[in-house]
Amino acid sequence: MQLALGRLIRAPTREDPLGGLRLDTAERARLAALADSPGFRCTVKAQRSWCAGRAAKSAQLTLSLRPAEERQRLLDDWVNSGGGTPSFFTAEAAAFLEFLAERLPCPSHALTVCRVEQATLRARDGAIRFAVPDRSWLDAPDRVLRAGRYAALVPFRAAPHLLLAALEGQPLPPISPTITPVLFGPGLPGLSRLATGEEMALWERLRAPQALSALWREGHPREAIATLVMAGVAEYGE
Amino acid sequence: MSDRSAALGSIDSGMVVQPLGIGLPYFASLPSELYARELLNFVEITPETLCRERRDGTRVAIELLPDKLERARQVCGALPVAVHGVELSIGSAHGWNAAYLEMLDAFQAYWPFRWHSEHLGFQTIPGEGGATLNVGIPLPQPATEESVRIVGERSTAIQRRYGVPFLLENAAHYLADLPADPEIGDEIGLMREITERSGCFQLLDLHNLHCNAVNHHIDPFDAIGRMPLSRVVEIHVAGGSWHDGFLMDAHDGRVPERVWDLLEYTLPLTQSVAGVVFEMLDEHAVRLGVQAITEELIRARDIWRSCRPG
Repeated sequence: MQLALGRLIRAPTREDPLGGLRLDTAERARLAALADSPGFRCTVKAQRSWCAGRAAKSAQLTLSLRPAEERQRLLDDWVNSGGGTPSFFTAEAAAFLEFLAERLPCPSHALTVCRVEQATLRARDGAIRFAVPDRSWLDAPDRVLRAGRYAALVPFRAAPHLLLAALEGQPLPPISPTITPVLFGPGLPGLSRLATGEEMALWERLRAPQALSALWREGHPREAIATLVMAGVAEYGE
Repeated sequence: MSDRSAALGSIDSGMVVQPLGIGLPYFASLPSELYARELLNFVEITPETLCRERRDGTRVAIELLPDKLERARQVCGALPVAVHGVELSIGSAHGWNAAYLEMLDAFQAYWPFRWHSEHLGFQTIPGEGGATLNVGIPLPQPATEESVRIVGERSTAIQRRYGVPFLLENAAHYLADLPADPEIGDEIGLMREITERSGCFQLLDLHNLHCNAVNHHIDPFDAIGRMPLSRVVEIHVAGGSWHDGFLMDAHDGRVPERVWDLLEYTLPLTQSVAGVVFEMLDEHAVRLGVQAITEELIRARDIWRSCRPG
């Protein structure tokens, strides 16, 4: 009964939410009557409102850059797919932001802000247990480095301060053909800062794990490597 | 202890709870001075609000966040604490949320609490491949013998695990005609059977009762008369709002007069109540503001004092 009721609440419009359940005729009739009651409709509406509310909270900035109609459609699509049900913010937020990123125009400021919200979430999550790594390992040529699991590089299509101002009500700046890279990492003060050209090149290289010796050979500066490692933007691999 | 309670392995409820008085949920968003005022006797903490969830494949862990936990403890100072959980899903037939209890073990080690409460209901169902699916909203527990057994055994286990009273909260719901066994009857019969057989206690949410009374056309005073009042350790008062013809337990406003009436009626009927909490949701607490919250606390305190002279 719990399974049947739970499935009905989660997906009342799905063709056969009770498919595969062993229910006798009387049980099916009882559930059909329940699903047709005002109280059930009220419960479903409350559930959907809670789910949409949780999701909206996790992507407030991104959604604020989309028209109201599209915002509602994105939230409806997410809730219809079963999203919004977990109570914990982080697990829900990461999944919803990825869902949004797949549906936002590219390039767009909304997509940039979506990536910023994702990156901030990840860096904040990593910062809880972040410990500055052992710097001496950076002298071992065989040591492997990779992009940090709690790090990101977000390419902005406008000066970051202009995009921030737009989130506070100023007009959106035009999409720039050049990008401004911003690094996010659990050990960075404030979790983010502008990336240098060297850091951006290094980040691109670390999308696949690399031995330190290879990075040195390619001319990546040792100090830039150390800076990224100490901030958790890059991390030691296996 | 009855034969049936012995069958459930209930603990004797010789647990004595010292009366505390008036409590308020802890919200980081409210000014910390609110928790330093004399009109507050204890704080109700929902530990999940100080946590994050981590998933590793199908394994789920709920971790306390040290900075949030430390801040909460600083703000609440020396006030006694009661825990009010929301994630246990104690009534789910497929299993409860073990990660929640593991988190609560850590919480208790850091910050001991006077009692612990949860909602009588379920909010998870089994998904594919052994996964657990959240329904997204708590649902009422069917008033069946199976529910009594499942929730009763779990309540006994929880009370043993933490060594403090475990309370089940009566839920507000909008679903009429849920399955019920004739010998259990309804949600009040369900609560009575579980508390009697398992030795656990009740958190009587008077606003939830008020909502059910309005929405399902029952007499709340008659309902109180059928409740296991000697098992009630905590009372919630709260506000709600109307949506689509239903009065909902939105915890979004001040306490309606009817709920104050119910508090004045109930308190003299039971000496076991150790605290009354004005319950809100975080987002509404900020909107309500300190002044309105203080007024509700004062009113609750006045009723408490009139029923508990000395």
